[in-house]
Amino acid sequence: MENPTSTFALLEHARAGDPQALSAAFEKHRRRLAVLIHYKLSPQARHGAEVEDLVQETLLRGFRDIGRFHYQSPGSLLRWLSSIADHVIVDRLRYQGRDRRAGQQVPFRSASNPNGPEPTDSATPSRLFAQQEAVERLLARLDRLPEDYRQAILMTKIEGLSTAEMAQRTGRSREAAALLVYRAVKRFRAISDASEP
Amino acid sequence: MEDEQEQRLAERFADILDGQATAGLSAGDIREHYPDLAGELEALSDIDRAVDPEALPERLSGHRILSVIGRGGMGRVLLAEDEALRRRVAIKMLAPQYADRPALRTRFMAEARAMARLNHPNVVRIYSLGPASEPPHFVMEHLDGVPLTRAGAALTFEQRAEMVLKVVETVHFLHGKGVIHRDLKPQNVLVGPDLEPKLLDFGLILDLGDQKRLSRPGEIAGTPEYLSPEQAAGGEALDARSDVFSLGAVLYELLTGQPPFRAAAIADLLRIIREEDPVLPRRHVPEIPRALQNVCLKALEKDPARRYASAADMAGDLRRYLAGEAVYAEPAAYSRLIAGKVGEHLRELEGWRRDQIVSEAEYDGLRRRYDRLLERDDAWIMEARRLTLPQVTLYLGAWVLAVGAALLTFFRYPALAGSPAVLTAWAAALPAGWIGFDSWRRERHRVAVAWLLAFCLLAPIATLVTLEEFHLFTGLTMGQARLELFHRLHVAKQATNAQLWWSILAGIPVCWWIRRFTGASVFTLLSAVFGALLALATLVRMGMLDWLENDPGRIYFRLIPCAAIFMTAGLLLERRGRTDDSRYFYPFAVAFTWAALSGLAAFHEPYARWLKGVAPWTRGQLEYLFILNAGVYFLLDRACDRMGSGQVRMVGKSFRFVIPGHVMTSLLLLGVDAQTPAETKLLAWLLPAAACVFVFASIPRQMKNFFATGLLFFAIGVARLQHEVFHDRAVWPVLLLAAGLSLMAAAANYAALRVNLTRAVKALWR
Repeated sequence: MENPTSTFALLEHARAGDPQALSAAFEKHRRRLAVLIHYKLSPQARHGAEVEDLVQETLLRGFRDIGRFHYQSPGSLLRWLSSIADHVIVDRLRYQGRDRRAGQQVPFRSASNPNGPEPTDSATPSRLFAQQEAVERLLARLDRLPEDYRQAILMTKIEGLSTAEMAQRTGRSREAAALLVYRAVKRFRAISDASEP
Repeated sequence: MEDEQEQRLAERFADILDGQATAGLSAGDIREHYPDLAGELEALSDIDRAVDPEALPERLSGHRILSVIGRGGMGRVLLAEDEALRRRVAIKMLAPQYADRPALRTRFMAEARAMARLNHPNVVRIYSLGPASEPPHFVMEHLDGVPLTRAGAALTFEQRAEMVLKVVETVHFLHGKGVIHRDLKPQNVLVGPDLEPKLLDFGLILDLGDQKRLSRPGEIAGTPEYLSPEQAAGGEALDARSDVFSLGAVLYELLTGQPPFRAAAIADLLRIIREEDPVLPRRHVPEIPRALQNVCLKALEKDPARRYASAADMAGDLRRYLAGEAVYAEPAAYSRLIAGKVGEHLRELEGWRRDQIVSEAEYDGLRRRYDRLLERDDAWIMEARRLTLPQVTLYLGAWVLAVGAALLTFFRYPALAGSPAVLTAWAAALPAGWIGFDSWRRERHRVAVAWLLAFCLLAPIATLVTLEEFHLFTGLTMGQARLELFHRLHVAKQATNAQLWWSILAGIPVCWWIRRFTGASVFTLLSAVFGALLALATLVRMGMLDWLENDPGRIYFRLIPCAAIFMTAGLLLERRGRTDDSRYFYPFAVAFTWAALSGLAAFHEPYARWLKGVAPWTRGQLEYLFILNAGVYFLLDRACDRMGSGQVRMVGKSFRFVIPGHVMTSLLLLGVDAQTPAETKLLAWLLPAAACVFVFASIPRQMKNFFATGLLFFAIGVARLQHEVFHDRAVWPVLLLAAGLSLMAAAANYAALRVNLTRAVKALWR
């Protein structure tokens, strides 16, 4: 039986004209996207408000351009959003200081448009941070990993690449990639165990 | 060596990560299979839990979580297993992002407590509340079933009604515990293989006892398709009848396969729920029994006051349906449906009249029929749109009751002499009245009207028996036994005219008061009937029986005031806007007028003498008096037309209706009875001439009976002329043929003829 809240089903609903389904699909990926964007930024730029801002902008563009997205596999929406995030970050650097938002063209729900999608974050600027603590802890642990280990975990665990895809992206053999991921997780576990009270 | 082992572990780890090795295995299973990687896999789960808002905990209250089986606004329902008892349970978990919102936590806890309080075989059971150290959740019975509507699809209507009955009874149980469910929908009723429905999801219950709203005021809670209008409007205080509405919606979907109200956007849906009647279930599925449709529509009434007052009432009707009895529900939706359509037709009809597509008379006729269609919203059997076996039996029973009681007034029974007879009569009358009033209060209008009618008939009868047995009002009319009605009937009991009169008089206020109480117009009819009987009883008390033998004309003369009284009563009522009452008085006025005028012409000697004095050539023949009556009817018709109201115009029309018959029958009889040849000849010509006048007189008031009667009497007149004037003369038929041809030719070229004639006249004028 098709799980009605799988990403695929939600996207199908979104295409059938249910804007809430798209909100739900994006909401599912929100935290992963935040973690990815966090590490796409330079260490100086990695503060909560900026990350949150970029997540928001990325999702807004996602809303606008959802027609161009083609579903391939369970991870493909996140990968697509991740590539949008790359553009958003580049644009942000290029137009620094100028406030240009794609979101203004998206017909969000409002008094004049009651059927539009719910703004991704209507309640608080950070529903993401309802479990902020858990994310913060995760970031703290990832920070303590060497760069290649961290990238391995980000690619496989956060972005959702398979080890073969990761091998391809990093120019390694699958065996090497598997070993890298294994060691990365092992180290991550050690850090976790060490930081556990 | 170590490297090799590490590589092998890494490969396996990558396989798990890629999902190849894990298809069909739970996290716990994987850990059992790969003990070497347990720590690393635990770390992966840590990462998932941090970034995935939907990550499931592994265990809750000691139960192993297997999968998600449902989700709602506040959280998810998980399938879990109690490993010790090897029992499957369902766990409802508050979504983690809501765990720190006190209002939602309160609501969640209230749901668990309510479920603990509701111990009922058709309510899902709660086992335990999760400990404070774990995410908020509670453990409940796991039901292996399908939603109500899916289960119902393959069942007969009786089986579906049985299932809904169980649900309705369960909801009544909730109401008895002071709880309103507020989110009744097919998805919240699971049906197991034994066809036992179980109610679940108490997330939106409203606890009436605490008067504590578990959702914010004004917030719309519930699944939109099954919301009641008062929920859709928001803000209003809810009661059990809100659940009755949702039960109606569930029944509707169970019968038709679709919810009663649907719309693409939620704002439209809420408006439709508040404003529009659902499509009749039988329009979707013609096989749906009418009784079930009635139950469904009654529960779906917009106005809570028109719905079943409680789930128990609804259950009662469903039980009656299952027992093959008539259900009590009389959905107002039917009259609204008809009224809406009739309103459209009437507007259309108005347009046709303006555009002169229909004549005024036709318009009046159609309009009257439409009005009747709307008025037929009466609980009386003669106004019922369809007769049913229980209803007919009910009225037969009432009639048997009245006739049986009437025997007590006529005959003497040794075993029932004196007070026993009185007691028997009242023992029939009073319970009938009491049951009638009680049924009316319970909104069983059809049943109530039958009982109340029986009471109205029984009350005067019982009064009469009382007067007879206690020897009250025993004075004879003018002291003469021969003037007593009952003395002439040669029956054992001989009630006096006075007793009869007082009994009938007692019946009128009873009817009138019940009319005011129920608003059912049949009681006006009954008062009018009693009024007419009282008028006749008054005449009897004035010595009518004497006149009957010696001077019948006097009876008819005294009917004139009766007619006047009824006419006045009708006019007064109509003037006060009570057209529903007045329309029962006019027919009596018309009937009294007809009887009085005809009787006067036939029997009233002073009338004939007067005519003879005024016009000796008439010899006081009654045919002339009938022609005179026709004149009176004409004047009455004119007078009625002056009044202007619709009902009085109809009275006028009924006077007008008899004019041609009166005039031409009299002319015919006068001709037959003529005493001189000149008179014979004159009357022979007068009859066809009058017939022609009536034929053309049909045009101004659109009286088709004038036309038809005119044609008939013209033929008779022609035959009379042939007999009296043109005996054996061929010119007569030839003349007729020529006249007929020229009339037809003239009529066919009416326009041209008219133009030429006008020209000719103008030329002559100059």
